[in-house]
Amino acid sequence: MNLKNNLFLGCSLFVILSITAQKRMHKKQDLILICLDTLFVAGSSINLEFEGNTVIKYQMYCANSYGSTLIKPQLQGNRISFQVPNHLSNKSGVLNWSVVGTKEKLFGTLNIVPRESPSSIETYIGPPSIEAGGIDYSMLVIIPTDNLDNPLKQNTVVSIQQQFLASERSNLVFTKNLIAFKYIYSPLKSGRILLSSETVGLNSKEYDVNIMPGIATNFTIYSQRNHTYADGNQITTFTSSIIKDKNNNTISDGNFVYFFITNKIGALLKTSGTTIAGVATAKIIHPDYEEDWSIKAYVLGMAESNTLKVKYKKIVENFKVTFLKNNRKITVGPIKSFMDQLMPDGLQVKISIYKNKKFLNEIIKSSREGFVSFELSQSIYKNGNYDFRISTAKVHKLFQTTALW
Amino acid sequence: MVNTNKIIFKSILLLSYLLIIAALLFLISSLYGYFNTGADRSKILHTKIKKTDQYLPKVTWLVDGNLGREMNAQTLSEIESNYLDAWYIKNIAFSTNSKIGVDAYYTESARKNIFNIIQTNKKEKITIERTTLSHNPNIFLFSEDGQLVVLEDKNVVEYKRIFKDNKFILEITEIANYKVILLLEDGFWRIRHLVKESLSEFDKKPKASPPASNIIKGINYYPQATPWNMFGSDFDINIILKDFNLIKTANLNTIRVFVPYKDFGKSKVSEHKLNKLRQVLDAAEKNDLKVIITLFDFYGNYEVLDWTLNHRHVEVIVSAFKNHNAILAWDVKNEPNLDFKSRGRRNVISWLEQIIFLIKSIDKNHAVTIGWSNISSANILKDKVDFVSFHYYEDKAFFEERYTALKKIIQDKPLVLGEFGISSYRGFWKPFGSSEEKQANYYKEMQAVFAKNKIPFISWTLYDFNKIPKEVVGELPWRRNAQEHYGFINKNGKKKKSFKYISKN
Repeated sequence: MNLKNNLFLGCSLFVILSITAQKRMHKKQDLILICLDTLFVAGSSINLEFEGNTVIKYQMYCANSYGSTLIKPQLQGNRISFQVPNHLSNKSGVLNWSVVGTKEKLFGTLNIVPRESPSSIETYIGPPSIEAGGIDYSMLVIIPTDNLDNPLKQNTVVSIQQQFLASERSNLVFTKNLIAFKYIYSPLKSGRILLSSETVGLNSKEYDVNIMPGIATNFTIYSQRNHTYADGNQITTFTSSIIKDKNNNTISDGNFVYFFITNKIGALLKTSGTTIAGVATAKIIHPDYEEDWSIKAYVLGMAESNTLKVKYKKIVENFKVTFLKNNRKITVGPIKSFMDQLMPDGLQVKISIYKNKKFLNEIIKSSREGFVSFELSQSIYKNGNYDFRISTAKVHKLFQTTALW
Repeated sequence: MVNTNKIIFKSILLLSYLLIIAALLFLISSLYGYFNTGADRSKILHTKIKKTDQYLPKVTWLVDGNLGREMNAQTLSEIESNYLDAWYIKNIAFSTNSKIGVDAYYTESARKNIFNIIQTNKKEKITIERTTLSHNPNIFLFSEDGQLVVLEDKNVVEYKRIFKDNKFILEITEIANYKVILLLEDGFWRIRHLVKESLSEFDKKPKASPPASNIIKGINYYPQATPWNMFGSDFDINIILKDFNLIKTANLNTIRVFVPYKDFGKSKVSEHKLNKLRQVLDAAEKNDLKVIITLFDFYGNYEVLDWTLNHRHVEVIVSAFKNHNAILAWDVKNEPNLDFKSRGRRNVISWLEQIIFLIKSIDKNHAVTIGWSNISSANILKDKVDFVSFHYYEDKAFFEERYTALKKIIQDKPLVLGEFGISSYRGFWKPFGSSEEKQANYYKEMQAVFAKNKIPFISWTLYDFNKIPKEVVGELPWRRNAQEHYGFINKNGKKKKSFKYISKN
């Protein structure tokens, strides 16, 4: 209101001072602008007043940042005025006008500046989560606007508050090119930074940036098992130490850890697990024959573990084989385990059949209650002499020239 | 007798049987065909994106780096596309006073500003035809999360034409600088804030570049076999070379050729066509002939929203040949005043004006003109062109008088008679028409006037043509037949009597 009054006063002063001067200056002009103010605050009422020939029907072309329109004149005696519509004078930026209908071109520009006090702070923050360690960063962009949705003028102070663990900081930034912004660098620890901004007494709400742990660093692994026998039945569990990033933050849950196992003959076995609270756990069944395993774990592309050696003791030294029913039924067993107990079900037994040194067939069966039996059918294996090789748990037995009849 | 009847009967039966089978087969096959169309598997995924060029103002990015996230070409092109669409949709919104599409390119708070103005304009019956001709954006900041861009768009040339109650009020061209904030919402870069920071008036005074030669002795040229389709599939540079040689030996120094807008690919000028035009210019240079290139042949849409597309067309052609030795001048358009009635005089004139300005901004050395169809239009835009060219097909008796009158109006610019001529046709459709003698006499007298007044001339045309496209003179046979016989050389390749007066000696 105050502003309006001032404006009116200013304009009236101008009127008094300039009417006489202008009349002489622009004799040819059919209209003379009375108020020469060109700086307005957004939202103020702008009335462009002219003096001169009011018989002619003038119009005013008027354009702001968003669009243009025509304004109808209002007549008062020998004065003619154009009232800029609110929705044009509400927006900051250049507003240009031009009177249509004059002989000489009559035009001008007004500068509309945003209001001083903000009514909203638009805040954009991203990325929402960054990696601890001081290298990664997020960005806070702030657009303080007045109540007519105009970005505040250049060099408006915006203070940015930042809290992380025990530290609380406040920084000042200035708006430039409609916005203010600040880089938020990650601290060494993982956690959550809380942010807020304030400009000319207006506070934003609370924003946060998650600080995620960095990538894994090297770690150690351990194994755990019930016994050391290669029984093909018990399970060995591998666990990692608590995997940390380089700043000693426990890495995020769900990191995939692969355990690669190299056995005696150089073949690779693999098992895997994901981390929970930094620890990855993976399991694998015991081998069913004597083994020397070396195990190394990896978080692929990031970190690796030490090499762990694990030995499995032999449990089957020998087994009994009996031939029945014209040697056509071959029974293997009882196969005994480390305490002479019958072998748990599922041990593989293989019989290879040869005739005249020529390989004929191979039959594989799993043990059941310590025994496995093979039946050789007459229709497949004609009467004659055969060689048999029976093997289980890497123990082999050979039976040469055994007659089937 | 009975036997013959039997045979006839049998053969009719057989034939009708065959016919029925054929008809049935046809029906079944077309039914089969019908059910097998429209199920093209490649269409399931909508992989084909149909995009037509609608709005192509000149965009020059200032690539000098930016704060925040590093900008990549893909994102920049998405921003450019959405940002220009925002301007395009705004242009449409203001010309139709409808809100359609605005919400896709302006955020909720920003679109209100446009809607408010549109609402008033609709109430007051104000419509604004507008376009922007150039943008010079520069990214200041690209936020680290890739969701916000602050840019400055400098020297945006905006053209506006304002109507109230369907009556023209004013046209205005402004140059403005904007600061813009764009947000990535729902996959669109939408304008959040738009602030016009400064504004200046567009200087519409083009720089003069008068024609290099003032003694134009020329001819409008089309090859005999391909009139109005010079750069089509029957293009043969050897014929053109031979013709140019003939033109040169006939003591002429200039030719005027036509570049069809659509045929050359509209806003995407075809490299292939450009190459043909280059061959023509090279051939002219070889024969020491100068060329006036007439642009926008067969173009008739002068709408403001079509301007940016026209600009891209002009830009390619003019930049390609602005340094070619054969170029004498650019003729913006052939006989645009004939479109005044159908397209609106103002539309056509402002269109011509900005095309002149564009050509001159690209080629600062060659003259620009407009090929007016008659003397009475010749003074339109006379201050903008480098020489005034007009066509004269009226009675030769009044030519000198009318020319002198025009010369009095336009004193500071050279005048060129861009087209003139007479048909030698006499026949079924015009039993009392012209003749070869009349034609020769016409040229003889005209050349005398030219010699006396030192008038540069370009005659119509070298050849009689066999086939005139209906777009040129319409379907009426008496007009078509007359148009076929304007040449100095007849359909059999023999020089007519008028050939003697093809040029002044």
